[in-house]
Amino acid sequence: MAFDAPAAPGPGLSPRAMAWYRFSRNRSARIGAFMVVSVVFIALFAPLIAPFPDHAGAVVDFSARHTPPNLTFPLGTDKVGRDILSRVVFGFRLSLLLVAGVLAIAVPLGAALGLVAAWCGGIIEKGMTGFTNVMLAIPPLVMALAIGNVLEPNLVNAMIAITLVWWTWHARLVYRVAKSVAAEDFIEAARLAGAGHLHILAREILPNCISVISVKTTLDAAFVILFGATLSFLGLGVKPPTPDLGSMVADARQFLPEQWWEVLGPGLAIFYATLGFNLLGDGLRDMFDVEV
Amino acid sequence: MRNLLDISDLNVSFSAYGRRQHILKDVALSVPEGGRVALIGETGCGKSLTGRAILGTLPDTARIESGRISLRGESVLDMPPKRREALKGTAFSIIMQDPLSSFNPVLQIGRHLDDVMRFADRRLGICASCAERKARIFDVLRKVQLSDPEWIFAAYPAQLSGGMRQRALIALSLLHQPELLIADEPGTALDVTTQDEIMTLIDRRVSDNGLSLLMITHNLGLVRRMVDEIYVMRHGEIIEYGRTTGLFRRPQAAYTRQLVEAIPPLYGAAVVNRPASTAKPMIELTAVSKAFARRSAFAKSSRHVAVKEVSLSIREGEIFGLAGESGSGKTTLARMIMGLAHASSGAIMIAGKPVDAGSAAARRNRIQLVYQNPGTSLNPKRTVGQTLAVPLAFVGVRGAAAASRIETLLCDVDLPSHYASKFPHELSGGQKQRVAIARALAAEPRIIVLDEPTSALDVSVQRNVIRLLTRLGDTLGLTFLFISHDLSLMRNFCGRIAIMLKGRIVETGSPRIVFARPRHPYTRALIAAAPVMSEEEENLKPHIGPEERRRYLVGARARS
Repeated sequence: MAFDAPAAPGPGLSPRAMAWYRFSRNRSARIGAFMVVSVVFIALFAPLIAPFPDHAGAVVDFSARHTPPNLTFPLGTDKVGRDILSRVVFGFRLSLLLVAGVLAIAVPLGAALGLVAAWCGGIIEKGMTGFTNVMLAIPPLVMALAIGNVLEPNLVNAMIAITLVWWTWHARLVYRVAKSVAAEDFIEAARLAGAGHLHILAREILPNCISVISVKTTLDAAFVILFGATLSFLGLGVKPPTPDLGSMVADARQFLPEQWWEVLGPGLAIFYATLGFNLLGDGLRDMFDVEV
Repeated sequence: MRNLLDISDLNVSFSAYGRRQHILKDVALSVPEGGRVALIGETGCGKSLTGRAILGTLPDTARIESGRISLRGESVLDMPPKRREALKGTAFSIIMQDPLSSFNPVLQIGRHLDDVMRFADRRLGICASCAERKARIFDVLRKVQLSDPEWIFAAYPAQLSGGMRQRALIALSLLHQPELLIADEPGTALDVTTQDEIMTLIDRRVSDNGLSLLMITHNLGLVRRMVDEIYVMRHGEIIEYGRTTGLFRRPQAAYTRQLVEAIPPLYGAAVVNRPASTAKPMIELTAVSKAFARRSAFAKSSRHVAVKEVSLSIREGEIFGLAGESGSGKTTLARMIMGLAHASSGAIMIAGKPVDAGSAAARRNRIQLVYQNPGTSLNPKRTVGQTLAVPLAFVGVRGAAAASRIETLLCDVDLPSHYASKFPHELSGGQKQRVAIARALAAEPRIIVLDEPTSALDVSVQRNVIRLLTRLGDTLGLTFLFISHDLSLMRNFCGRIAIMLKGRIVETGSPRIVFARPRHPYTRALIAAAPVMSEEEENLKPHIGPEERRRYLVGARARS
């Protein structure tokens, strides 16, 4: 008897297949995935999808200003006569760019700091968790407003502002997960086998944190879109005439309630993208069976 | 004799992840009134599921496809839900496996007991006052030999020892005088001696109250003591049924035979004597002690001495067994030998050099460790090959050389080479433990510490792993330090053993002599508590009086 008992406990599927099954059975996750994919698709092919691609720029057509939704302009026009649908389509681009930029910096930064804090222990751990807690104590909007005021308002600076308040959540999350993984037998076994610190952090602990990070990142995408919209609403986003969902809402606000469509279009777009990411994140959470 | 419980043609299937799996296949089983029946089999064979089907606590994903479960001839499955509920705790009761996770840590034991009693009362239409219930609970607690019911009632689960928690769990199942007691692996998580106590207790409760017992377990030694009839289950099917003595002496099915043969004998002709080594000492300990500062919420800080002045020497190529109950200091001692912990006093020499001499690298090269639970000692996100590559990279073997070395290592532990690309979840428990052994071998150590390497495995798998270790020890000239509380296993596997009690070594010697003439009363108590497979062996065990029992068995001690 060389091979002991038969392997494959449970339902005989690999974790990946089980995860995929859970995901595919979850209706909200499917809807979320569809919404996110559609947003990405629209953003990528904005010039082809938008009925008036040039309206994303500084086009002025006063004869068509404040047109209610009709067949030519499905979402109506704004105060200078630009097609709102076209601007919303291009607005997705900016939102996704913001999401990508913020998360591409905040997630790896936060994860790395969390891992190092959990693994090193001692003064490094105390210092990092302390600093993270202090950062978390500052209201993110106040922090972002302060940074936005110091720097000139544009996309990159908005990104920096959001990133600076965002990494802390990832640091805390990864710290917590890594701390419990670090106490597992297999970590001590790896150390006994001669593995170095870098190997243990990157190859042993990090793979066990990936599911948590990816769920959190997806959920974060929704918040970053909202946060970016808030910043542009407050005038710290991109400069006109670049179409941005947040500043479109801000501009149109003064024409409420008569020209309601001018707020409704970008508002719905923010809602759609945020909801999509949230549903997808919830689906991933069920799929990986993690708590965030 | 009438049957209390009859199960016939029970088929249960599970639907998981879109697939339907047939788990229990035509299970037929009956428990006579006042009878004692065991259901044995390996992990995942469906024995616990049968118990849950009887109780009516199957998970939502399970479905009873067909079959009958009847209590005194009345079908349980056809009862209205309310009546079926009322059976819980009164007709059927279960003693759960894990005494720790069965209690909510933030609720007092009394609260658990009272809740169960109150709800069962309500179902039965009994109206009892709080004080009345308390009196009844105290009564039950006294029955399970918890001497201070007042204190137990107010205690939180964490304040009780494992044995006491298991007793409290038994009390929980006896609150309403059930007719059938289902014991699902009772005492598995406990030391042999405590387990022995628990078995005696269940035994007494069952005979005193005239209960019927259905014992679900994989421990054949316990079964022999406790029950009259045995059903053997494999892959959801009952493959053999018989009276206990007959079944153990002449097992019919090949699988049962294999199960019975896999149990190492404690006494008798089948016992293997490992030769004692005469080589030079490999590990030498002189008066080694280890003290921990213990912070306590109830008393002022105290020093807890885990290991007290231990001196021993382990020879090269020897299989040295270290036995003792949990908390006796055996793991601490091993960690000091590994260099993972520092001795408070005394000297540890490995191959003639102090243990902390040389670089950490050189130390690792000398000693490796195999953990108790292969499920937690392998990283679930890394393949077997990746896991094995770590120690190889450390000794300077990389790339193609590493790949061929991994192949040899897998071959050494009897695994095919394509297993290098598998993840731990694709392997069975025994295969995982083989990978863990291969990882320990990869660093080419001279000493391997085995920390209960087979206690998480089924008996038949255990035998294969032990066989593998014996072969590796002989061919590679390794020195093993084997930590365990399974005395029958140590009797056959070790060349020399030491018994540890509260941080001290109370007896050392070759297993042949120690088991034939145990000198220390604690050794006698330990051997007497070890479950065995036949009456002859039982009679060869040393006898201990109740006085010694009280003195040395941790589980029998009341709260200090």
